[in-house]
Formats: sequence, structure tokens, C-alpha cells
Amino acid sequence: MATKRPPFWQREKYTPFLLLLPAILTLLFVVLLPLLFSLYTSFTGYRLIRPESLWQWVGFRNYQRIFADGDFWTAFGRTIIFLTIALNLEFLFGLGIALLINKITWGQRTLRTIMMFPMMFSPILVGYQFKFVFNDNIGILNNALQSLGLSDGAIPWLVDKYLANFSIIFAEVWMSTSVFAILLLAGLFAMPRDPLEAAKVDGCNPWQVFRHITLPFLMPFVFIAMTIRSLDVARAYDIVDVMTGGGPAGRTELLWTLIARTGYDNARMGQANAMAYVSILLSIAFTYYFFTKLLAARKYMGGAE
Amino acid sequence: MTKMTFKRLLTATALTSIAATAAIAEEVDYGKFDGYTLRVKLIGGAQYEPLYARIAEWEAMTGATVDVLSRKNHFELDREIKQDIAAGTLDWCVGSNHTSFAPQYGSIYIDLNGVIADATLAEFQSLALENSTVDGRLVQLPRHSDISNLYYIKSLFEDADNQAKFEAEYGYALTPPETWDQVKDQAMFFADAPTFYGTQFVGKDEAITGRFYELLIANGGALFDDDWNPTFNSAAGVEAVNFFKDLYEAQAVPAGSLNYLWDDTGLGFASGTVALNLDWAGWASFFNDPENSKIAGDIGLVRAPKGSAGIRTGWSGSHSFSITETCDNQDAAASFVTFLTSHESQMVEATAGLLPTRAAVWDDAKAQFTADGNDFLVEVFETYAVSMSEDAFTPPLITPWIEVSNEIWPQLQAAILGEKTPQEALDEAADAARIVMEDAGYL
Amino acid sequence: MMNGKLRKQIGAIATWVLTFILMVIICVPGLWVVLTAFRPNGEVLAKPPVWIPENPSLNNFAKIFGFGADQVAIPVPAYFANSLIIALTSTAIALLIGMSGGYAFARYRFRFKNGLFLGLMLSRTVPGIALSLPIFMIWSRIGLIDAKLGLIIVYVALNVPFTIWLIDGFFRQIPKEMSEAAQVDGCTRWQAFWKIEFPLAKSGIASAGIFAFLTSWNEYALASNLTRSTDSKTLPVGLMDFTAQFTIDWAGMSAMAVIIIIPALILTFLVQKHLIAGLTFGGVKG
Repeated sequence: MATKRPPFWQREKYTPFLLLLPAILTLLFVVLLPLLFSLYTSFTGYRLIRPESLWQWVGFRNYQRIFADGDFWTAFGRTIIFLTIALNLEFLFGLGIALLINKITWGQRTLRTIMMFPMMFSPILVGYQFKFVFNDNIGILNNALQSLGLSDGAIPWLVDKYLANFSIIFAEVWMSTSVFAILLLAGLFAMPRDPLEAAKVDGCNPWQVFRHITLPFLMPFVFIAMTIRSLDVARAYDIVDVMTGGGPAGRTELLWTLIARTGYDNARMGQANAMAYVSILLSIAFTYYFFTKLLAARKYMGGAE
Repeated sequence: MTKMTFKRLLTATALTSIAATAAIAEEVDYGKFDGYTLRVKLIGGAQYEPLYARIAEWEAMTGATVDVLSRKNHFELDREIKQDIAAGTLDWCVGSNHTSFAPQYGSIYIDLNGVIADATLAEFQSLALENSTVDGRLVQLPRHSDISNLYYIKSLFEDADNQAKFEAEYGYALTPPETWDQVKDQAMFFADAPTFYGTQFVGKDEAITGRFYELLIANGGALFDDDWNPTFNSAAGVEAVNFFKDLYEAQAVPAGSLNYLWDDTGLGFASGTVALNLDWAGWASFFNDPENSKIAGDIGLVRAPKGSAGIRTGWSGSHSFSITETCDNQDAAASFVTFLTSHESQMVEATAGLLPTRAAVWDDAKAQFTADGNDFLVEVFETYAVSMSEDAFTPPLITPWIEVSNEIWPQLQAAILGEKTPQEALDEAADAARIVMEDAGYL
Repeated sequence: MMNGKLRKQIGAIATWVLTFILMVIICVPGLWVVLTAFRPNGEVLAKPPVWIPENPSLNNFAKIFGFGADQVAIPVPAYFANSLIIALTSTAIALLIGMSGGYAFARYRFRFKNGLFLGLMLSRTVPGIALSLPIFMIWSRIGLIDAKLGLIIVYVALNVPFTIWLIDGFFRQIPKEMSEAAQVDGCTRWQAFWKIEFPLAKSGIASAGIFAFLTSWNEYALASNLTRSTDSKTLPVGLMDFTAQFTIDWAGMSAMAVIIIIPALILTFLVQKHLIAGLTFGGVKG
């Protein structure tokens, strides 16, 4: 063979890295670089309104402070509960919607568009919309309940300990269930027909078919959706900030609202970034969990790997 | 300055400037800045826009161009300015400011003493200038002031049936309230949740801190002592918290109050479902506009009531304009802010219901409302003129005011909701506020 | 036999009823916003409520564009143009980067593959609120504040992990043998990609595109920090123009919301066709 050895960028071994280079560079620049900066500031007494405080090294003081802060841990715990409940509800509703729409043949395209309707709404808009819906005095929900005679009082949706959390979860689920539905619908469409037919011939009932064929096939899609959503949940910040701002009395305080108030309103950026790091670790834990599940499901399916 | 001397000064300036009014517009020389582009950040919103329509006039007069970089509400603007400080991007000249926010910004804004002509400054109410001064520096030129008074639905108080019932129940006549205790009685008397409420209060953020603060003062308390030790967990403080708590528990205020801000309370009163409403001057026209309000033509207004120490509540502040230290043409900037707070400009704003900071405008605006036959606005201006001159006080002009406020209001909410006793809640807030004050170097 | 048919019919009806209920829940809060856009402000806050607008009008839209007397026009055309440019450009770039990355993950084995994949995904977990200030500081140093480019770069980074993920999945579903066969026939891998895999994955890419577009179109937290003026302000940031110190103009805001929603709705409906193809082709394989 007389052909010269190709230059390294054409060698098969390096191709994937070359292909990934733009993605890696973008993320290094937009995510990693800022993160390193905020990691540094989390060890300083950095206050937004005093630029010189960027050089005031305080070691682990910010971390010590937040770890000793009961409010922080309450917000931390509430964020985990919020994520767990919201993601599971979104999954269940998303699966339900996908299964239903999959069964309907007439008008499916319109239904699919309607199903994706909430995805057209900016999170900030979702926040305002539900702030209005849940308003105790002039909100449409209380007015509807009162007109229908289901309630004779003004239900304080955004103030009561449980209702306020219900309200923000409702808004979040309303906004994000579509993502699950569309991805799971994609999974249902991608499903091979043969095993289904075979199962029917073998006399399986619909539940058995669902349990032993459809669901296992859908699992990777479920985990994809879960992972994607767990990446994205911090978008809920916009909603919660507009609806309740974390209040009243911290009843709906999530890590993100706490971080924003500490960092911008109180201008304690160093401390806010320390909190942000804890919240990042939390997101990573969630994502990593679903990711390992995803890999396992893929192995189970015998996908490419 | 004592209240008496201030009042005298107010009348004195008013008298002298009425004669001078007509001439003022011609006299001020706004200078020539041909080809210069002035970069500004302004507060936005329907009430504030009419003034900005005048900017074109200033541009024509001076040859400069105005580039409005942002037009946001104050909380958004505050965040943006803090980012600018952090990133060193203060590459603009004029920014909207507020007396409550100004102390946070340190020395990014210049001292306007000497930059704005003394003759011009003399036209302003001295209390407004005093409140715009931080550490001896006049860091902002007040644009309009604000303070709250008590609006009420007139027909409710005129109703003979109500009057009889109220007197039977509470032992005194039903008249527009003079004290906050009476407000509480009347609010509970009128309340019929969920269709009608006695009164309402804003329930979160600096808004409720401010309402608590003014009641604290009215009850004879103080946020801090002379050495900046937090003292608001006093008996007067507990009394103030109990006022909110009692109303909330009696369902005399809407159940969602703790999530309310100014828009909710203003719109609530306009919807005709609230009997008494302590609110800012800026809402007066809105409340009396049949397009927006169900109670137009049925609105009474009295000065803010007194607390247990016989002092009236009078939380006040001013919107203002500031000029940055980094500004590349401070003369142009000074000309611009002088123009936007000129007699004519303030007349434009007064017509929209904003309270002027120039003494003369108070009288001229009132004269114009009388001429227009707008009796309601005349009454509004008369009431607010008195409260502005006799009752007004600002929050402490300290750098960490917003931070202290952020320690106070969640605790107020917790107390109102009954999660803690008022004393516990205030003690915790005071401890947290102490740490904030220590960190900020006041203690 | 009859029994089975009946059961089937009941099942179909139940499916329809359930679907209908779910669709109502999905639509009502959104529709309320749409209805509000056509009401006068007084009606929005009326108690008892006015369910169907009594005097629907386009006044709120007219006011936004400055045809009313008392309000300064909100520069919607500028916001709209910014949003469109930023969302489309960032989506296109994210798709290109995502295709190349997704292809690498789907078709190659290499060291650190899982680690790299996970790393890319985790980069998306960082909450916007934690990124906003550091990005602002860096962007201000290199002049990307209040610039469309600044926002485009951020949105590309925001969408890349997600795009790679989706596209990786779509490529995985295309049998490797198809492109291998093409390569045996003398195509280079590059040609095989464009001739065989790209057309098959095209619909998948289109659906990844919708997700990316919607994310960029609706993003608020970062845009509110990185934009300043009509040079770069996007529609969601413009929504805040309706909130003043003391008031929220619900009707005006709703009208603006309708302006934001309509393009997204049209686009989604149009791309539906590709979504269908993109989602069903996997079935062909089976």
C-alpha cells in the first residue's frame, strides 16, 4: 500500500473527538468558565455592590454559614421534595396522555399540537398566568369554585402551607408534562409492531402487553425524559419567583429563590454562589441517577454500546 | 429640621415662586451639547411615561440625543445597576433612583450640590432634598415624592344603618378613622369574607417591611437605637405585628394578602371589594376613573391614622434621578435631570397624580385642578400636602436597608400566620438584622 | 362477539372522554390568557368574573403598538425581530453542533465515551440563576452584553446537550448496516451520512429543532440579565414592560403573551408533519 498515512484529524480514532469539539468548546466557554468563576467567588466575601470584595478570601466561611443555616436546609429539603413530586407527576400524566393520544387516530395531529400548547408558554408567563388563576380574591379558580357552589370561602391558594406548594407544583407540572408526553409518544411510535402482534396472538391481555412489552420498551424514553427534565427543572425558578417569591414565611422557598434573593437583593454573591454549588450537586445527583438507569435500560434493550 | 420650620419654609417658597413661575421656564439655560449622546436608565411604567415624552424637547433644545438604555421597574433596575457595579459597566450617565435604594450604591453617583445650580435646588422642598442626601452627599435629585393616606368607600360610612350598627357594637360613632385601632374595628365591622373585606395590606417584600416600620414609629417604637442596634422587637413592634395578625385572623383582609404587592391591593380596592385602603397618591386618579374602578365617585380620603403613640404613619420616599461618577459629560447630565424635574415637567407629572418635589408645583397643580373642576384631585393634593409636610419619614438611609428588610418580612409573615409568636418572630429578625448591621460595619 | 365489540366501544368512548378532560386542563389556563388579551382591564379584574369577554376588542394590541393615547408604544416589532433572530440562529447552530456530536456518540466507540456524554449532560444541570452573574461578568468584558450574539452563544450552549441527546437517539435507531452497505458500495463515511443517515434522521432533527427553538424563544432568566435595550431584548423580557412599580397591566401583558405564543404555535403545527415522520420511522425498522 503506497497511500500515505492520513493526517491525525482524518484518523478514525480521533473522528469522534473532532465531531464533539464544537459542543465541548461551547460548553467550556458558556458553562465551565463561569462555573469556575463562581466557584472562586464562593470562597470570597464577594458582595455585588463592592467590586473590591471579590479579592476578600474567606475560605469555607460561606459554606459553614449555609450549612449551619436552618432556612437553607429547609429550602434544600423542599427542593428535593418539589423535584420528586413534580417529576413523578409529570411522568405519570405524560405517560397517560401519550397512551391516550396513541390510541386516537382521528384528529391526532391537532391533539398533539394542543398537547404541546403549554410548551409555547414562557416560564415567566406561566408564573403570571397561575398567579392570576390562584389569586384568592379575583382569581378565576376561586371564582369558579364559588360560582359552582363548591366553596363558600376565599381559598388562599398561594398562602396556605400545603396549597401554596400544591399551586407551584401544579404550575410546574402544567408547563412540563408536555415534554414527557411528546417524548413518550415518540417512544410509542418507535415501537416495533411485531412483538405486540405476537403477544396478542399468544393471548396476552392489554395490561400484560403494556407491562411486559410496551413499558420495558418505553423505559429508555422515560429515563431520557426524566434526565432531560431533571436538567431543566431550575426553569421552575421563574414560575415560583413570580407566583410566591418563595413566601409567605418561606413556605415555598426553593434553593433557586433563596439563591436569587441572597445574590441580588442582598448582594451577597459569594454566599449565593456557595448555595448555587450545593444546588448544582443536587441536580447532578438527580441527573446521574436517571442517567445510570438509562444506561441500564439501554443495555437491557441491547442498544448500541 | 423641625416640622414647624419646614412648614413655614414651604409656604414661604410657595409664595415667592408663584410670582416667578411664569418666568422660570425661560430663565434656565440648559446649554448646548450638539452631537452628544446621553445614555440613561429610567424607571418604566404607565405613570412615569408621560414625562419621557418631554425628552424630545430637551434634545431639540440642547442638540444632544438621549439613548434610553433600559426602562424597567425599580426592582429590575436595581438588579441591573448592581450588575453594572459588579462588572464595571457603568458606562451611562443618568439613572432613575429611589431614596430607599440610593444608600446601597455607595459612591457611584456624584454629589449634586454645586453641580445643580443653587437657585434650582432652592425651588425644591427641603425635606425632599434632605431625604435624598446620603452621608452628606446629595446623590439624587428628587423627581416626585410619595406617601400613603387612607382611602375609603364613602357610601359605606354615610349609610345610616351601618352607623347605627357600628355604634351599637363598638360604642363610638362610625366616622372615617383617626387611629389605627379604629381602622381595625371598622375593618372587622365591614368585613364579610370572601365577598367583601374591611381593609388589606401588602404582604411581602420591602412593602410589608415598610408598613410594619411606619406602624412601629406610630406606636412610639424605632427600628434602631442611636448606635444602630436593632430595637424593633420592642413592645411597640409587637403591637404593630398584632395589628396585621388580628386583621388576618379575623379575615378582615383577603386570605391571599401575604402574597400581595401594590398592584394587588390597588386593584382590589378599585374592584370595590374593600372598605378601607391605605395607599399611595399615584393611585388616586386610577381609583376615581370609571373605566378602571367600580368605586369611582364614591371615594373618601383622610390623612393616615395615628398609632398608639399619637404619631401618624408616614412612610415616605422619593423617586429621583442620579448622575454617575463615570459620566463623560456631567454638564449634559445635570442639564437633563434639571429639565426632567423642572417646574413644567413636574406639572406634567402632577397631572398624572404624582406628588411634586418642588414647593411651587403643589399650589400651581392644585390651582389647575380647581380650574379644571377636578375636585377630587384638589382634595387629594390638599390631603397629601399636609401629610407630606407633617407626617413624612423615610426608612433609615443605610446601605443594608434592603438586606435588613429581607430579614424582617419573612418573620412578619411567620408571625401573622401564627407559626411564631410576634415576640419570637421579631427577636429572630432582630438577631439576623444585627448580623447584617455588623457585616455592613454599622456595629 | 357482541360483548367484545361493546367493550371496545366503551373503551373508545372512555379514551375520548379522558383525553377531552386532559385537554381541557391543558387549555383552560392558557385560553384564559388569550381571552384576557381581548378584554378591557376593568373586565379582567371584575368580581364576579366575566367569563366570556362582553366587548371583545383589539384595544390592548393597539395600545401595545402605540395607537392609544396614554401609553408609549412598547417596541414589540424590535423585540419580535430580536427573538426571531436569536431563536432561529441559536437553534440552527445548536442543531449543527448537536448533529455532529450526536453522530459521534451513536456511531463511534471511543475512550471516555460515557464520561463525556454524562459531562455534556451535566453541564445543562447548572441552574440559570447560578450562571447569570458569572456569565454577565465575562460577557461584559468581551462586549457581549446587550448583543444578540451574546444571547445566541448562551442559547446554543443551553440547547446543545439536549440536542445531542435527542439526535444520538435518532441515529441509534438507524441500522448501522445501512450506512455500512453504502460504504461498501464506495461511498465515504461523509457521503454515507448525508445520503443515508441524514434523510432518515431528518425528522428527528426537526423535532430536536422544535425543542431548541421553544427553549430559546421562551427563555427569560438569562435573557433578563444579558439584555438591556431594544438592540437585544426578547419578547419574554418585554413582558416585564407591563409591570410597573405598583401596577401590572394584565390585559396588555396577555396581549403580548398572545403575540409570543402565536409564532411558536404555528411553527409547532407546521413541524408536526415532520414530527410524525420522525417519530414513526422507528417502526419501519421493526
